[in-house]
Amino acid sequence: MGYRGDSLALVAIVKGSLPAERRQRRSRSFSALSAFSVWCTTYAAGLISSNAKMQRVLITGFGVVSPLGGDNAENLKSLHNGSDCVSTVTAFDVSRTRCRTAGQVSNDWLKEPMTRKNQRLDRSSLMMLQATREAIRTAGQIVPEMMVISTSSGGMFNGERFYRSLIESRPRAGAARAVANYMAQKPVLDVQEKFGWRIPAQIISNACASGTNAIGHAFQLVRAGLYESVICGGYDPLSELVFTGFDSLQAATPEKIRPFDRDRNGLVLGEGAGVLVLESEPAAAARRATVFGEIVGYGISTDNYHLTQPDPSGIGPKLAMERALADAKLDPASIDYVNAHGTATVFNDATEGIAISDLMPSVPISSTKSMMGHALGGAGAIEAVFSLFAILHQFLPPNINFRQPEPDWTFRVVGNQEEPAKIRRVASNSFGFGGANATLILQAA
Amino acid sequence: MKSADPNFGFFVQGVGAVTPLGANAEQTWDELVQGAEAVRQPLPKGFGGRTYYYSAVPPKFTAAAGRQPRLRRSGDISLLGVTAGLAALADAGIPLEEAKQGAVVFAIACGGVVYTRRFYNEVVTEGANAASPLLFPETVFNAPASHLAALLKVDGRDYTLVGDSSVGLSALHFASQLLALDPALPFCVVVGVEEADWVLADGFAAWRMASNRNSFPVFGAKQGTILAESAASVVLSRTGSLRLVRTSPGLPFFSQREAPSVLQEVVTKTCGEHQPAGILCSANGTFADRAEEIVFRSALGTVPVYAHKPAIGDSLGASALLQLVLAKFALTQQKLPPTLHAGDRLQTVTREVTEIRGNEILITSVGFNQQVNAALVAPA
Repeated sequence: MGYRGDSLALVAIVKGSLPAERRQRRSRSFSALSAFSVWCTTYAAGLISSNAKMQRVLITGFGVVSPLGGDNAENLKSLHNGSDCVSTVTAFDVSRTRCRTAGQVSNDWLKEPMTRKNQRLDRSSLMMLQATREAIRTAGQIVPEMMVISTSSGGMFNGERFYRSLIESRPRAGAARAVANYMAQKPVLDVQEKFGWRIPAQIISNACASGTNAIGHAFQLVRAGLYESVICGGYDPLSELVFTGFDSLQAATPEKIRPFDRDRNGLVLGEGAGVLVLESEPAAAARRATVFGEIVGYGISTDNYHLTQPDPSGIGPKLAMERALADAKLDPASIDYVNAHGTATVFNDATEGIAISDLMPSVPISSTKSMMGHALGGAGAIEAVFSLFAILHQFLPPNINFRQPEPDWTFRVVGNQEEPAKIRRVASNSFGFGGANATLILQAA
Repeated sequence: MKSADPNFGFFVQGVGAVTPLGANAEQTWDELVQGAEAVRQPLPKGFGGRTYYYSAVPPKFTAAAGRQPRLRRSGDISLLGVTAGLAALADAGIPLEEAKQGAVVFAIACGGVVYTRRFYNEVVTEGANAASPLLFPETVFNAPASHLAALLKVDGRDYTLVGDSSVGLSALHFASQLLALDPALPFCVVVGVEEADWVLADGFAAWRMASNRNSFPVFGAKQGTILAESAASVVLSRTGSLRLVRTSPGLPFFSQREAPSVLQEVVTKTCGEHQPAGILCSANGTFADRAEEIVFRSALGTVPVYAHKPAIGDSLGASALLQLVLAKFALTQQKLPPTLHAGDRLQTVTREVTEIRGNEILITSVGFNQQVNAALVAPA
């Protein structure tokens, strides 16, 4: 097969079919190998799926740092109080954007001992360290085998700093550090080095669905018996480029963020990090770990309608939620609360609203982004911790700045104030650019 | 703690690539065997009088992808990724109407740097209110993956992994996990892709990892590397002509001094009792060369080693999967191409077309952002 053959094949694929003769030739040459190789891989897959039987995936540690607070306790308190933690952006100039506010993590919360090494840590690493420290504090002694972490912009603000130094012809001092901290893996490396781990790490970047994807994948790994303990979660810091990007799309609001409100007109950004410790039941039992909750289902879908806008039918979110429910072998009616993606954009809330109305018509929902903004690649992880809080403390976090819903929606928005509730199961949604959609289902232990 | 990385044993059913040396995988391989070196040109829009070179993929190689309506505003990184992904599916004999049953996994190091720079430049020089909304969406890491998923009508699993130049092998392992986790998933299209920009090169130069020359040696004087655009793709499935004997999720190192010992650990676990017939390595004129040199000398002292980066350049997120694509040809033709500009620190590096005798090839990768990885492949 020469170059031209490849070109024809490429055109054929694009047009939808390969020449039948070519398929037949491939089929014959592979037939003998295929049977044996399929047997091998089926056997291997069978080893994973049946020999190592499906494990319960327990949450044995959790940590969060967000605009709501620098540790678990502060975040929980803010959720209870329905605190509005969105404020005017101070990190960069917003005088020429429509939106001027964001949920910001206070630098006072990101303190590390002043060593020479720690001085080189940037905000992304500090947030991840803080969240992981909280997770390990709640988990106790643990030696994880793997990390699955999410981010959507990595250390973008370091890239911004580097670029500005070029444009402004500033000296190159600090350039190397900016470049190192620009890379998405750096916070993960810093966490590993700090805690004395040398373990594999998978870093997922699926835009705003990333955090839920990372936890979902970690859940699947532990459930299948591939790993016994996994640190998972995600982070994203605020950056001027991303802030301006959403503003340029007119997706950001110059007012209050009002998820699921009939008069909503856009999101505000946020930042932060969320981390969960997931362990198999035997591993948790062996070290007598405290079990805070359980993950029972994960669903993922891809919406191919448009790079930035969801299919108006709501099919993307609906598929993700349906698949999570099927994965958990649960009926939609068994969900007691939905922590919605709820960015307060016209499009997201419309499609998510349609999907939830269709699947879970009377479920209470709230978007905790109303209090802290949208932390992008960290959002799904932060909201997983918030969903766990709801289960542990039996309350529905509020969806603040809410006035009235769309008339067609059937679900109930937990408006403005928390409510005590009997909560056994929570569905946490995250949907992002590129049509990435993901849903996790958490359950009381 | 139990051992966490089982031997999945899946197969490469098809390969695809688009590089500065070829519109497809075969052309790239043939050029490498003939000792060709990609044309190097200066990266545009530099600052401070500093010049860096790169190897570009000729636009005609991705023209077909650019005519897709979904991609008409996309950056080169998406065009490259889609081109390679579709080529791998064609090579695997999977028709478009069946492609939607599969999963898409992308491996990227720095992403859409060209559009990112353009967008941020507008912010800085003209003001935030002047920045183009057409550019911003294409800057997200998962834009290329979403475009391929849309063309294939994949409505399920679509992931983008980010890392350094070893991320391709991490993505391969990730894709193996997806196949193992769901026996009903027939295949994964795994694509590694990268584009190049002056700011990226200048950033690497701050760490003395990018050269300001238009060629670079490997296993010789450490002069830094030259960036390249490329995309490489494999279709990973339960049947195929190339078997993944072993893949790895990789490991981190925390200083350059540690890189050899960590790579040794990963290579030892990957090879086990196997002695590969050849090695396709990631040497790129930086500290990575030394790490690989130490490991190859200690345990694999007679195995011929081939480094493709002096010929093509370092295509970061695409490079490890490109090594895998080249491994398929190496095994089929039982030879390794000549390594261009090979220094004298490693005697087993190929300096001419070198026959290999045996059925396994080791692929190694040492990345700038402190990750190492390896994979062992063999004919099915």
